[in-house]
Amino acid sequence: MSVDSQALQQPVEVKKESRRESAFSRIAKYSGGRIVSLFITVVIGVYLTILIANMGGYVDQIRKGQIRDNLYARLGNDQTYKQLPESEKKTYADALIELEEKRLGLDQPFILRSLRFLWDALSMNLGRAQFMSSDTGSRQVRLIITERLGTTLLLMGTANLFLFFSSILIALGLSRSYGSFLDRFFIALSPTSAMPAWFYGIFLILIFAAVLKILPFGGMIDSPPPKTTIGYALNVLKHLILPASSLFISSFFSSVYNWRTFFLIFSSEDYVEMAKAKGLTDQMVQRRYILRPTLPTIITSFSLLLIGMWTGAIITETVFTWPGLGQVTYQAIGFNDTAVIVGTTIIFAYLLALTVFLLDFFYALVDPRVKLGGSQQRS
Amino acid sequence: MKKSIYLIISLVLVLTMVLAACTTPAETETPVVEEPVEEEVVEEEPVEEEEVVEEEPTEEVVEEEPTEEVVEEEMGPMLASVPTANGTTTTRKGTWVDEVAFSIVDSDSAITQIQAGALDIYPVGMSTVDQFNAIKAAGLENSFGGGLYYEITINPVGPIFEGTGKLNPFASAKAREALNWIIDRDYINQEVYGGIATPKFTPIHTSLPDYSKYIETFREVEAKYAYDFDKGAAVIEEELAAMGAEKVDGKWTYEGEPVVIIFLIRNDSDGTRIPIGDYVSNQLELIGLTVDRQYKTSAEASPLWVGGNPADGLWHLYTGAWSATAIDRDAGDDLQFFETPSSAYGSTALWQSYAADADYLQMADDLANVNYTDMEQRAEMFKRSIVERFEYSYRVWIVDGKSFAAWDPKVSVAYDLMAGVDGSAFWPYTLRFDGQEGGVMRFGTNAVFNDPINAVAGSNWAFDQSWIRAIGDYGVVTNPFTGIAMPQRIEKADVVVQTGLPVTQTYDWVNLTFEDTITVPEDAWVDWDVESQTFITAAEKWPEGATALRKSVVYYPADFFQTVTWHDGSPFDMADFVMGMIMTFEPGYEGSAIYDEAAAATIQSALAPFKGWKILSEDPLIVETYSDFWGLDAENIVNTLWPEYGYGNASWHLIALSNMADAKGELAYSADKADASGVEWLSWASGPSIEILAADLAELIANPTIPYEATLGAYITPEEAAARYANLQAFYEEYGHFYANCGPLILSEVYPVEQTLVLKNNDNYVDFADKWSLFTEPKVAVAEIDGAGRVTIGEAATFDVFVSTEDGDAYPQNEVSFVKYLLFNADGSLLEVAEATFVEDGYYTIELSEETTGKLASGACKLEVAVSVIPVALPAFAAFEFVAE
Repeated sequence: MSVDSQALQQPVEVKKESRRESAFSRIAKYSGGRIVSLFITVVIGVYLTILIANMGGYVDQIRKGQIRDNLYARLGNDQTYKQLPESEKKTYADALIELEEKRLGLDQPFILRSLRFLWDALSMNLGRAQFMSSDTGSRQVRLIITERLGTTLLLMGTANLFLFFSSILIALGLSRSYGSFLDRFFIALSPTSAMPAWFYGIFLILIFAAVLKILPFGGMIDSPPPKTTIGYALNVLKHLILPASSLFISSFFSSVYNWRTFFLIFSSEDYVEMAKAKGLTDQMVQRRYILRPTLPTIITSFSLLLIGMWTGAIITETVFTWPGLGQVTYQAIGFNDTAVIVGTTIIFAYLLALTVFLLDFFYALVDPRVKLGGSQQRS
Repeated sequence: MKKSIYLIISLVLVLTMVLAACTTPAETETPVVEEPVEEEVVEEEPVEEEEVVEEEPTEEVVEEEPTEEVVEEEMGPMLASVPTANGTTTTRKGTWVDEVAFSIVDSDSAITQIQAGALDIYPVGMSTVDQFNAIKAAGLENSFGGGLYYEITINPVGPIFEGTGKLNPFASAKAREALNWIIDRDYINQEVYGGIATPKFTPIHTSLPDYSKYIETFREVEAKYAYDFDKGAAVIEEELAAMGAEKVDGKWTYEGEPVVIIFLIRNDSDGTRIPIGDYVSNQLELIGLTVDRQYKTSAEASPLWVGGNPADGLWHLYTGAWSATAIDRDAGDDLQFFETPSSAYGSTALWQSYAADADYLQMADDLANVNYTDMEQRAEMFKRSIVERFEYSYRVWIVDGKSFAAWDPKVSVAYDLMAGVDGSAFWPYTLRFDGQEGGVMRFGTNAVFNDPINAVAGSNWAFDQSWIRAIGDYGVVTNPFTGIAMPQRIEKADVVVQTGLPVTQTYDWVNLTFEDTITVPEDAWVDWDVESQTFITAAEKWPEGATALRKSVVYYPADFFQTVTWHDGSPFDMADFVMGMIMTFEPGYEGSAIYDEAAAATIQSALAPFKGWKILSEDPLIVETYSDFWGLDAENIVNTLWPEYGYGNASWHLIALSNMADAKGELAYSADKADASGVEWLSWASGPSIEILAADLAELIANPTIPYEATLGAYITPEEAAARYANLQAFYEEYGHFYANCGPLILSEVYPVEQTLVLKNNDNYVDFADKWSLFTEPKVAVAEIDGAGRVTIGEAATFDVFVSTEDGDAYPQNEVSFVKYLLFNADGSLLEVAEATFVEDGYYTIELSEETTGKLASGACKLEVAVSVIPVALPAFAAFEFVAE
């Protein structure tokens, strides 16, 4: 990729040359097409999720088996049931099975239910979970998700935002000091990111909780929790340190390495050398000639990071018993609770589609080479 | 320089790992050598007291009361001290600790957390040998509870599956029986469970009273079906050949295709079913069968083995496991449950395929339905069925596992010998820091608030019930060591049983009598009229009169209504009991404002044996219950009418408030009704329900309604109703939830998203903290045999038997049910069974007569004792080998 400095100065003029009506029409047409294509993608993605979550309908068989297994095991311990006449036992058990199958909708064909799941999902009617309850005891998928959203965003936001900005800042610095000791240091440690966050989590727990005993093993708060608001907040922060650190450490070196390499490519462009030769300050070179052309990539990365927080971190949350959305998703998969799986998926799908849609506009705003609805990039 | 930096970094990383690894030496360095000791303890733990039951058989005995004295003596060390212990060692009311703080802890880190001082107790049952070794190595205290018990479920359909046309060798009963010989249960116990499990051959749990009661029969079948691979393989090969299979190049084939055994091996749960499945697969492959090992989760396997049709041929074997969560004092229904079509699982195609002789099936049904006249007849049936079940062998039983909880040595707590700590009602009463009153106990668990909390149809998760039990109270509580009910809030009870039913008693708080006919009084309440909101009497429902098989009469203490209160300060009153009676019917009847279709079937089933209640006295409260439901232990068939709704206690005003929300269609007690009507599932602890209940309570305070006024109006005045609602409002304002219960602990703080909760001591609780303090340690018996290593055939021989506690103290004779010995010949056959002779406390002798030793064959013979004691239900065993020459 190569862009000369002249090109960076031209967008305003080009825009002025365009007629307002045609630009609006072009953007509207582009937006409409983009929305339709993204919507179709979402529909396909969500329906595939429904099919996969239900194993193409086989989950119905699993549920029927589980209903019987659970019921018979329960009845086996029911002293009253044991003393019923044989004929009444069967009638009673069959009635309970029928009720439960009806409750779960198993009396209807899967294909019909799958389409209903799809419609409910697309219309954001998240409905009720089949097996799971929210932490406060609600069956509404909306509450199951939103009750965990805050804790997830706290963990993922803390870790990822810190990771993102620290990586970029350090990477920028390293890109300017290519070959230095620090540069080599980060390169050397970048393979440590091959290990997942939960792996570091276990070590951090062992060191700081088990041996040094200065941080908690897990959870979101001490039990019993502090009575004051400030004490509560500080206590949550204390519990946040290890899980956030494990997420941070697991990606930090590779993230710095990636950004550093990315910036390095831009740093060696001719126009950067030219700017340096003109005697511009490092800060100015960095801001105008390195950061600006890389802005679309940074924004894309940042946007995806933001919506990526939505998914939580399943294993890390489990290791630290952090009550996040990752655990909810994991439990939903374990329960084959389609409503919850679809609920988390559809929200992520809409967020992703919206992000992709908006990013096109951001690109056009920050990068003059990008033209919405245009057949090609300007040069 | 560069190399040095890299070296330093590497060293730091290595040091970090080493440092971290150093924290858990326990998990890997435990000396397995010590396990046999543990194993012996485990095997000797099982106890029993049914022999007393056997020896106190009938009405005649009860009338003459020859056992009365014995019973009192038997109870002496435990129950006789209850009245004096309650307040004799402390003035503290409620629990020993100030608070119990629950938090979510993963079982993998629980031991480390206790070691690090971050947790005081992890009462959830752990089951792997690694965890057990880690507990021991860390020097923590632990409980032993009943874990899972494992078996191989066999598909007996065939010999040719309709679905696949493939051969099923296990359609042959002989081949199924032979599987017993090719499985080395001791090997599995040692390799998979580190020796802490107990090999088993039948569905009867080896820790239950029935096992030691009929030990000679169990030992017989255990000897007969002991590991003998060659013998088992020969039988299976013979059956394969008879089915038309051929062995080609060491592999069995049928119609040119390998005989493939589809083995469903569970890969979830505690993970131990994988090595079991692999081991059995290897054994089958040694015979020449081809095994298709399909590793599946419960969800994946259940549609095949329990949900599907075995004739489809989609599986041959399945690694089953079942849980033991209570001391089952009558295991007579196990054979029916596991191995006959009359089982609770009888509707499934698999259980329907269990074809056996009509006589055998009848015997299993009779045992399950307590259809016998005395314990001798039961013993005969039980023993026969244990032997005959091997002719069908629909399951091959492997081992009884163990589960164990762990806690810091500075903590003490009582645990149920089957249900462990968190499954017992006793932990709140006994949990404490040694030598200390007060303190905050940090209590780890796997989950809290799994489902909404309400007593009628709320969360039934074991983790939730663990703390719900702690905030509740009961009319009777189950002795954690024997499984027999003991009075908690009630004072005493009479039990009247129809003459001829083999009901017996162990403790003297029950007065057991027999009558030829038990007539239900005409004015007994037997049903409920939803429209008039009044009870239907026996005379109205059964004009021709009615009888019952059993009647229980409970007596509450004279000061009960003056001393027992709910957590919101409301004193107990008659309406709390009568509301419980009403709610027994109300949700199950169409036309009710709180009708629940899902509850209807269950309620109708539960009411089938019900024959009525009669309130004999309101203060002191004395209530009769008539029923056709009965069991072997009189203590366990006492109906206290305590306001316990299935999932917890509740006061009448809390039920009234909840009924109001349910009737208005705002909330629903059960998940089924909530789903069907699209409303929230009622929770008294948290969530959207709280706001709704708060609004409804405001209505009730503004207009203090008496629920079911046509009936409860006789027990509640408008002023009392107003006071109750005001009390609940004050409780809600203080604690932020509505679950005002009546137990020794109060639900004081609820943090559902943070997944923690805090229970605090109920200072107003009626009992002193030391009430059940005598139950901290089970008085497990340990047996030992000593004698000559050589016995001359034809000459008398004497052996000494020592029965002691785990501390080495002699076990008092008045607490020993029996000391039975079993003499095995050199070929393993059982030669003689008899009782040892009592000499003094803890000391017995076994005299083998000349005639007996004359029957011994030359070689290594074995003498085994089985000891059953009163204070704990688990028997003790010991064996001694000698050479006969």
